[in-house]
Amino acid sequence: MKKIFFSLFLITAVCFSQSKDPNLIIKNLKDNFKKVKDYTADVDIKVDVSFLKVPEMKAKIYFKQPDKTHIESDGFAMLPKDGLYTSPLSLLNGEYTAIYSGDELFDGHKTYVVKIIPLNDKGDVILSTLWIDQSENLLRKVESTTKTNGTFVIILKYDNNNFPLPVNIEFTFNTSRLKLSRNSMEEDNSNNNKNIPGNSTGKVFLTYSNYIVNKGIPDSIFLTKKKTLKN
Amino acid sequence: MFKLINIELYKIFKKWRSYIGFIAIAVLVPVIEFALQIEGHKSIDFITRDLQQSFLFVGNLLNTYFVSYLILNSLTVHIPFLITLVAGDLLAGESTAGTYRLLLTRPVSRMQIVSSKFIAGLIYTFLLILLLAVFSLGLGYLLLGTGELIVFRNGIITVFAKNDIIWRFLLAYCSAVLSMGVVASLAFLFSALVENAIGPIISTMAIIIIFLIISAINVDIFQSIRPYLFTSYMGTWSMFFDKPLDRFEIVKSTLILLAHIAGLFGLASYIFYKKDILT
Repeated sequence: MKKIFFSLFLITAVCFSQSKDPNLIIKNLKDNFKKVKDYTADVDIKVDVSFLKVPEMKAKIYFKQPDKTHIESDGFAMLPKDGLYTSPLSLLNGEYTAIYSGDELFDGHKTYVVKIIPLNDKGDVILSTLWIDQSENLLRKVESTTKTNGTFVIILKYDNNNFPLPVNIEFTFNTSRLKLSRNSMEEDNSNNNKNIPGNSTGKVFLTYSNYIVNKGIPDSIFLTKKKTLKN
Repeated sequence: MFKLINIELYKIFKKWRSYIGFIAIAVLVPVIEFALQIEGHKSIDFITRDLQQSFLFVGNLLNTYFVSYLILNSLTVHIPFLITLVAGDLLAGESTAGTYRLLLTRPVSRMQIVSSKFIAGLIYTFLLILLLAVFSLGLGYLLLGTGELIVFRNGIITVFAKNDIIWRFLLAYCSAVLSMGVVASLAFLFSALVENAIGPIISTMAIIIIFLIISAINVDIFQSIRPYLFTSYMGTWSMFFDKPLDRFEIVKSTLILLAHIAGLFGLASYIFYKKDILT
């Protein structure tokens, strides 16, 4: 009798210890984004970093599945490389281990919290934590730790359209590891190769508008290098 | 007075050495611009290399404004020599040519003569900087077009929008004229003291070099002297590329430079007025 009760207890414990499959959660997230075959959007970029004074910038983003991107700007624009500014799933390329970490209420939405550990050592990201909307399969928040640039946090906001494309992305990153080295423009000798003092986090705000989704984008656009200063 | 100034300008441009500065700028600026057109991206990459680890850059930062800023940054150290070539010869040249007595027996006062020479020297300085501006911005526009301007100053990277640049350059060039005006005034003062132009040219350059070295050495006693050296204010032009503008410092530096010009001219006038012409 004792053995039966003990066995029942063990089975119950195993069943409830991993009630959500993280790989299924990720799959649902990816499938939701795959509804978007391609899109173009205008993006307004605002940078809030203590050592960077940049006016508000505008750019146009082109995206085509699975990972073709092209950015154009009439003037100068800078976008965070890790900011998921084209595809929220760019973190999920390659092999990884996903671990379900629990549920959390984030920004009024019930989310699954899933940790992603890349299996490839060559990448910069060591660990990512994703907050995935339970009902809409949207990525709401990402927190990633990298080898070279510390930790960054991305918060995505959506409006009520049919496609899983954000209208706002807030990218917060660690600035204290950035060094601005002296160069031929610099006159002041007192700022040689120093780490940036003061506020150690910076923010970039991306606001998307004028989405044109699934209307077809020719591949030739992604071969154009004209407006890109450095990729 | 205008006639006197015209005559002095005529005398300046009659000498071949007056064209050295113009030729130097006319040759150097295009060479620098062509070189930057080919390899200027490396300069921008160097300035922004740390940021490019975290950011993707889009757009044309290699444009006439970036190149003009670089040229202004580099040449304000070297232009003083081109100016002393002429300013140092304004009074000493009369002595070398033996024309002092001929000049001073004319029915114009010594003050008018020294003032007209000084103003002519300042006009020459203005024309040199004007040529620098026209060549830098004009040729740069033809070769590289326009765009935003990226500036790295005091540990901060600032990107200026296209419509926020030209007025800064105009004021920066005006400030550069003022800075070079101090150099011209110093050379003019030495020119009043001697009878050969070589002395003022070399003395002025020596003083500028010594002051710059004193300013560069990071020793407390030298740092306490720094605010009293006119070379500390010769970089005022770069303050127009701060965001926001430090109006107090700009006004203060401008007034100090003007005071130097006035003081050096005053001293030169006094020396010339009292000078006993023996040649």
